[in-house]
Amino acid sequence: MQLKVKEELFDEPTCEHNIQKKEKKACKTAVPGSSTGGCALDGAYIVLSPIRDALHVVHGPINCLGNSYNQRTSESKGNETFYMYGMTSSINENDLIFGSEDKLKKGIVYAVNKFNPKGVFIYNTCVPALTGEDIGGVARELTEKLNIPVVPVQSQGFSGGKNLGNKIAGDALFEYVIGKKEPNIDILTDYNINLIGEYNIKGELFLIKKALSDNGINLLSNITGNATMEEIMYSHKAGLNVVVCSKALVYLARKMEEKYGIPFIEESFFGLSSTNNAMLHIAESFKDAKLIEKVKKNIESKTKIIRKEIEPYKKFLTGKRVLLYTGGVKSWSLISALNDLGMKVIATGVKKSTEEDKNRIKEFDANGNIIMLDNGNPVNLIKMIKDEQADILLAGGRNQYTAIKSLIPFLDVNQERSNSYTSYEGIVHLGRQIYLELNSPVYDVIRKAN
Amino acid sequence: MENIKNIEINPLKTSSSLGAVIVFLGIKNAVVLMHGSQGCASFDKVTLTKHYRENIPVYTTALNELGAILGGSSYLKAGVKNIADKINPAFIGITSTGLSEVNGEDIHATFNELKKELKESGDYDNLSLAYVSTPDYDGNFEEGYKNAILSLLQTFCIDDRENLAGAYNNETIDKNNIRNISDYKNNDKNKDNGAKDKDIKNIRANVFCPFSFTAMDFLELRDLLEDFGITPVMIPDLGTSMDGHLDENGYLQTTSGGTDIEDLKKAGLNNLNIIIGSSLKSLIAPVKKITGLNTYYFSNVSGLKNTDLFFKFLEEISLRKTPERYKRQKRQLMDAYLDTHFYFLGKNIAIAEGIDILDSFSEVLSEVGANIKIGVTTSKAYENLKNRFEILTEGDIDLFGELIENDGNGIDLVISNSNAGYTAEKIGVPILKAGFPLIDRIGHNFKHYILYKGSANLVYEAANLLMSVNEKLMEEV
Ligand code: SF4
Repeated sequence: MQLKVKEELFDEPTCEHNIQKKEKKACKTAVPGSSTGGCALDGAYIVLSPIRDALHVVHGPINCLGNSYNQRTSESKGNETFYMYGMTSSINENDLIFGSEDKLKKGIVYAVNKFNPKGVFIYNTCVPALTGEDIGGVARELTEKLNIPVVPVQSQGFSGGKNLGNKIAGDALFEYVIGKKEPNIDILTDYNINLIGEYNIKGELFLIKKALSDNGINLLSNITGNATMEEIMYSHKAGLNVVVCSKALVYLARKMEEKYGIPFIEESFFGLSSTNNAMLHIAESFKDAKLIEKVKKNIESKTKIIRKEIEPYKKFLTGKRVLLYTGGVKSWSLISALNDLGMKVIATGVKKSTEEDKNRIKEFDANGNIIMLDNGNPVNLIKMIKDEQADILLAGGRNQYTAIKSLIPFLDVNQERSNSYTSYEGIVHLGRQIYLELNSPVYDVIRKAN
Repeated sequence: MENIKNIEINPLKTSSSLGAVIVFLGIKNAVVLMHGSQGCASFDKVTLTKHYRENIPVYTTALNELGAILGGSSYLKAGVKNIADKINPAFIGITSTGLSEVNGEDIHATFNELKKELKESGDYDNLSLAYVSTPDYDGNFEEGYKNAILSLLQTFCIDDRENLAGAYNNETIDKNNIRNISDYKNNDKNKDNGAKDKDIKNIRANVFCPFSFTAMDFLELRDLLEDFGITPVMIPDLGTSMDGHLDENGYLQTTSGGTDIEDLKKAGLNNLNIIIGSSLKSLIAPVKKITGLNTYYFSNVSGLKNTDLFFKFLEEISLRKTPERYKRQKRQLMDAYLDTHFYFLGKNIAIAEGIDILDSFSEVLSEVGANIKIGVTTSKAYENLKNRFEILTEGDIDLFGELIENDGNGIDLVISNSNAGYTAEKIGVPILKAGFPLIDRIGHNFKHYILYKGSANLVYEAANLLMSVNEKLMEEV
């Protein structure tokens, strides 16, 4: 049976849950009867599927992919945008009896012939993992036969949640893709970096890329929004890895540091001060006085421009109370953005946050007033919003209906956000969106009629 | 086709567990518990949330690898108890998944054990449960939907018929008034409608509709039946539960609206069953058997001909005349057909949908004169539709795209769900988005595609899409 996920993936020093409990276990899994978070497959697919010139084939029964593909908002430019396709071997009862490795192979050969991709990712799921199918073997065989990388991703959902899936995806990239090709000399500059964990939701990558190039910093590879196989293959040539809003992919950055000697930093591009800091830290990492000087200058002028642009929103938003419920890295990275807008964060969700995340929250929390909200079940959230007189809830889509049904203004800041909120332009979008939502007449109209 | 390419590329098909989940969402004060690993429930929940733009009360038993190998009965039991304690719903609908079934565990036995345990504890007297087996390597959406309906009837209707005998004593009508046929056909028998109006009061009908009905379809059908003096018990009732309404109590952790379990228990005491939808045809026999009632089946209630037939049926059943407003709607549909038919002249339509939309939409569009060219669907139960299509096959959206591109004369309009959007855009054909999932459209619960009014809506929507292409062509010349 192929149930083993690498021990190493659980043994992750940055996962503070594990450090505290001194046990090598995956981060908290759900209890029976709980509302549900994604599985490892979900997590792995999120990380890898933005690679746009590869095919992504989910090996499992129809439920694993069929009900839910084509829902990501990762933007992609270029002709080869296969990430728009959902593919699955759709295991049926017959396949269970006779095995489906052969079907998987034939299916992939068919798809590769049709689409001519630069690589294939095969995602394992619970049922074939349990019946002991060897997707590693299938991948090896096909890599030779098709002459493109065919990457097995051991993402069976019962091994753990999304976070683990992120790491499994990082591991697959490290083992099978990164370092497999050398870049053309002419695409390298003095300052080459990779971004890790940036998925280009609503084109956010394009904004960050612009800010980087304004500072003369070359984005060699983006892992993985709008990425090509090739750019990830030669990402080992970068001088710095910048991990963006992803605790889970620090794992990948560390592996790259060990093997290729690439240092890494963790940064956020949410908010003016965070973006400024990120730019400065990147420059400092290259220990180049000229670059640092240039970046500092840029920061100064950018800050002036953006401050002016957010001024009208800030005037209105100053002192307004926000409840932030996103968990993980955004539990702190957004606080900084909201502070830039003059808003008061009264609580932030820390269910998925590590100790380090919590420390960061404290850094941004000048008066020590921010409540760390561990249990964000809908009833709790609503109560907290009412008790603390929050003006708006910023959260992921799954809480949208909790909020609006309770007539609480809401803004989606996760996957489904309808705007890009990163980098310099992003903070203006964010301010404007919150301003508009808070000024919507709809809540009053309904309250009066209710 | 599946045998040749061995891979689903942009599947049209969805899983049986999803079909079952949706049935359970049509029950009042309900939550759904999927017995499997957390991801299965999460994927379904996310898609349903995007489709309905509502909170979807779907929970998971969170089976991990240990449970998957050694048996998951303790997970299921703990899951039900945790939900009951935390949320206190009136009903928990339980579905299985591929993972929880693949080791051959007898989940049904666990379910019965659990029911016994709950009963003995005495703490859960207000909680009802139903279980349906839906391994996602077997069957498709339609089968899960059907099996969940059957599970509801088997669980509640049979169990309690004896206890309930007499509940409707005062209201019971003379069943002899209702003719015993299962596949309702047009016939020329001219009845003296209206005369016996006062003899029959409170006809109660169990009504089974396919998932292809929008919430508004459910609600319009309910109104129609009530206008004929028929009180419908819709099983499930996705009209009152998933129409998107702000509940008086604001946010709820369960469904708001839906079929009342108490009504389900009394289903066998009603007067007749009405089943609509090709995908539900195989329900006729078991539903008839379980309820013991006369059962009438309509493959669809769309288009002029079939809606006429349905009204004739209602007149006969109720001994009432069709109310004026529906006669008017019929005249409106006729006018809609006349007004729009120009846009359909010589136009080729391709549809990739589940069997029910495939049937009802092609019915309407062929009445108005479009060429129904390509049909791709999720099951083989399409024999009776073969004549209407030039090509009709089981397959995925990728195949659908190939068929359209290979079509010599060119397809003018595509009908499918959100997942076909990219394909249609790439080929450059306008798409009318209907069915499931619709995640890039809002308000589709307010669309109405059945009966006279809904059929008119459909031809207008399709004609407008065709018209916009015509306009573009003119610009280019
Ligand atoms: S939990 Fe397992 S079976 Fe369920 S969706 Fe995830 S990989 Fe598929």
